[in-house]
Amino acid sequence: MKRSLSISFFTVLVCNFLWTQNKQILYDFNEIPQSLMVNPGVESDFKWYSGIPMISGISGYAGSNGVSVNDIFAEDGLDINDKIRDRMVNGMSRRDEFSGNVQLEILNIGFRSGNPSLFYSGGAYVEFDNITYWPRDYAQLIFDGNADQLNRRFNLGDLKTRGSLVTVYHLGVNKKVDKNLTIGARGKIYSGIVDYNSTRNSGYLVNTEGQNNILNTTLNADLQLRSSGFGQLDEASDNGTTGNTLIKRALFGGDLGLGVDLGFSYRLNEQTLFTASVLDLGFIYHSGDTQNYSLDGTASSEGIQINVLRELSNLNRDYWQDLVDEIEELVPFEENNSAYLTFRPTKVNASLRYDFGQPMGSSENCDCTIDASGGNEPRIAYRNSVGAHLFLINRPRGPQAAITGFYMRRFGNILALKATYTADKFSYTNLGFGLNLQAGPVNLYAMADNLLSYRNIAASNYASFQLGLNIISWGRK
Amino acid sequence: MSVKRNVVLLFLGIALLLSCSDKQDFGQYDDLTITPTFETSIFYVKTQESIINRVTGISFFTQDFNFDAFEEDLFAERVLEGSITYELENTTSKDIEITIEFLNENGDVLDSEFFRMDAAPTALLTRVVAYGGTDKSLDILRNTSQIRLSARNLGDNTSTSGLPDAAVELRSSAKFMVRVK
Repeated sequence: MKRSLSISFFTVLVCNFLWTQNKQILYDFNEIPQSLMVNPGVESDFKWYSGIPMISGISGYAGSNGVSVNDIFAEDGLDINDKIRDRMVNGMSRRDEFSGNVQLEILNIGFRSGNPSLFYSGGAYVEFDNITYWPRDYAQLIFDGNADQLNRRFNLGDLKTRGSLVTVYHLGVNKKVDKNLTIGARGKIYSGIVDYNSTRNSGYLVNTEGQNNILNTTLNADLQLRSSGFGQLDEASDNGTTGNTLIKRALFGGDLGLGVDLGFSYRLNEQTLFTASVLDLGFIYHSGDTQNYSLDGTASSEGIQINVLRELSNLNRDYWQDLVDEIEELVPFEENNSAYLTFRPTKVNASLRYDFGQPMGSSENCDCTIDASGGNEPRIAYRNSVGAHLFLINRPRGPQAAITGFYMRRFGNILALKATYTADKFSYTNLGFGLNLQAGPVNLYAMADNLLSYRNIAASNYASFQLGLNIISWGRK
Repeated sequence: MSVKRNVVLLFLGIALLLSCSDKQDFGQYDDLTITPTFETSIFYVKTQESIINRVTGISFFTQDFNFDAFEEDLFAERVLEGSITYELENTTSKDIEITIEFLNENGDVLDSEFFRMDAAPTALLTRVVAYGGTDKSLDILRNTSQIRLSARNLGDNTSTSGLPDAAVELRSSAKFMVRVK
């Protein structure tokens, strides 16, 4: 294997600051304040924290489960046309996806209330999210065409794509109900900057044997593309005011929506913890700058057809234009500016964790978690934890799941490490690693997963990495 | 602050050192060619024997049809090669001749196809005319704005075929390769 620094550097820069929607390393890593963002009901014991603006959380991911960069662009002496035809056009299914998500925290702060069982957190982040399923039949139509494929139905429903850029303003509350139960909720206001989606398509294109002519070509289409925000950005681009328009739309000047995160942590016993959360249960109402396009109808054509006996008195008409008009009437392409509603990609997490090993410190000099949350029964922080985590996300072709097993090791209150193994549609060999370092009040965390892919990062279906900086206080009340 | 910076740099450094990649050549994209072949019917003309018998004289049908399909930019600028398939069927009692002429905007004849068929019973006449490369020039199609269809009756005007719905039928379809990239 040839080591290529340039491609590695590029990949580190472009891909490694990316993080999957599944934040399996961060989840229940309650030493890190951002764990509240994936479970508002996480057991937290901060007095207050403040993320360093813009760098408290940079996360995202980009991936494809069907093909990698290396599959297509490796310098292997193979013809790229053969590689694309074998590995993409004929090799990928309509369930394979290209997807990406990027989150950039603008602000993230939290503080404990006068009632120490309550912890409030809030802030804002920008999120880009996209998923495009491999449009298999469109690709085969574009690469091969429809010639010599009598009765082959090209499925127009293969077009499924969805994406958005939104600013999310959030305010959450975390409440320790009792020693065993912590619950939390986070309200969200979405300010949509741009949105596009084309997910409810159906229809087909087929050539059959003609009744009169050689072939009958039938188009049955129910296609729709909805978009919002691009008109204003396009206009702003012409006027040189793109930045202002983006900021305006990010600050409630675009589409608005509401959402909620819910979560809880429940101790089955002193050493066993069950947690669950549901994130982004919400919607955005798109209006004001929407542009929607549709193609809806059915038309069959055997070309220009002239039956001289029937049309004897009308032979001078424009048969070609009449044919074009007839098809356009049967399958009209229409535009409108109707408002529409989209639902956020809802995520569900659940985990079971077992803590074990010697507690950190003796009972006399208990190095327990400092319980700023007001409990009179400080919990014992064990050095080790193992557990499993389940992740589900709602996607246009149905829910996607990932299952993770993890091991966590704490070194005093300074350092905590977490290793994970995850299986999902992208990879069955996904090993991840997370590190949380507490240097006084300064909290630094760094995480990466799919580590085995670093042997040849271009062959990876995705790679991810996350860094963040916070200031944390555990000071007693 | 220096501790944080050092840890960040350390992490990035480790990532850089540990990440490897087979050599990639993104210039291969320039070699990618996408040239699908599409196929559909073009035109169909049916002239019943009763019509032929009504017309005195040898030429029983001549008509110019507007046909802009080949002039459309999507086709004209991207077509690489292809063919037009004709199927001629004669179930009348007369020998017939059919001429198809491709005309430009000024009415000039760019190309023509000539068919002759005996009276029924005859087999289906199929002809495939290739365009592009060493075959007929694609410019004929690119500049075609009208199609002229002429039919001549080489028989009489009284006899009728014993076959049901006797007619001369001309079918056609086009199969062309276009360059998408």
